[in-house]
Amino acid sequence: MYIEKKEQVIIQNFEKNGYLIFKPEDQKILNNIKSKFLSFLAKKIYNKKSKNESYILNNIHKYIEKKKLNDFRLDIIKKINSTNEIKEKVYKLSKKYLDTLVGNELVIQKRINLSIQLPKDSSSLLPLHADTWSGVSPFELVVWLPLVNCYETKTMYILPSHKMKKYESKLINKKTKSSEQIFNLIKKDLIWLKVNYGEILVFDQSLPHGNIVNREKETRWSMNIRFKGIFTPYGDKKIGEFFEPITLKPVSKKGMNYKLPGQ
Amino acid sequence: MKKLRGYIFSRPFMEERVPQHVQNIILRNYCEKNNYTFLLSSVEYKMNKSFIILELVIKELKKLDGLVAYSMFQFPENEIERNKILTKILKQKKEIHFAVEDFKIKNNEDAKKFNEIWLVKKNLKYCPQKI
Repeated sequence: MYIEKKEQVIIQNFEKNGYLIFKPEDQKILNNIKSKFLSFLAKKIYNKKSKNESYILNNIHKYIEKKKLNDFRLDIIKKINSTNEIKEKVYKLSKKYLDTLVGNELVIQKRINLSIQLPKDSSSLLPLHADTWSGVSPFELVVWLPLVNCYETKTMYILPSHKMKKYESKLINKKTKSSEQIFNLIKKDLIWLKVNYGEILVFDQSLPHGNIVNREKETRWSMNIRFKGIFTPYGDKKIGEFFEPITLKPVSKKGMNYKLPGQ
Repeated sequence: MKKLRGYIFSRPFMEERVPQHVQNIILRNYCEKNNYTFLLSSVEYKMNKSFIILELVIKELKKLDGLVAYSMFQFPENEIERNKILTKILKQKKEIHFAVEDFKIKNNEDAKKFNEIWLVKKNLKYCPQKI
């Protein structure tokens, strides 16, 4: 394999754990994404210039009512997806890792997801699951980007790859009645990912992961988006509907259009 | 509010079959969500490779803002034929929307992206499929 030393380190870590947390070199791009979010909020709920950006995001529960959270979240998702700007920035920030772990001819999820978890709110939970269990292709990688520091119950958990073997045959069987049951089975081996603002997490969505009620005093804000190789199997999320090509190379284009003389 | 004529299929496309009433539900929902007026769908003929109804819809576009099809893969598989249709619509400065893919074509740049997705989709049958 013609793989550089630096890449080998990335690969080894990823293969061992099924996730990686890294600090992108260009922090300006991250700050720019955060400011963009704040500009959406500014128009919507606050215009107190005295508060700093992190304060506003971490304390958004002081500005909106819990019952309005879903509409609020949908409105922001609509805004962040109204152009390709944020998606392009997230790609740029993770490119080095995507190239090493996935490849350089990629499709991107068309709509970026946003998770807002207010303290003590049980309405936006994602109980233990693996995306592949509901038809998602195992060829996908998730990029998870927090806009605030995420820790303890304010973050997500994952079962690392090296622990997966231990449970593979026990995870789901005829006796399995709920995701809570699976959660309790693997609880002691779960890793609660500490990801600070300024860092990015990439993870294998075929590993069991999820979150619980945020018992911290701050709100969690994180975005997630999926990437996969253009020519790898798609699962239920198809090209056009869910994914779009972003880095199709000229030789692939030429090859796909190629016709033998006379044909 | 922009007025879009619906366009649905009565035959399978790219090995997929969607009941007509389901296609209409998706179109109506897309138009509601995006604040367009949805005009009752025209249904393409069942005969293989027929685009007779699509051509009729294009002729009618003068009075409308564009058309909304269920899927981008209901357009002709052949790129030359597909581009002819796109040109006819874009020349009139009208829009083409695809509800399932939440994708619209308003200019040549959008058309290029559309053809790129088509190219990949057509070639995926030569790539590994099984998970």
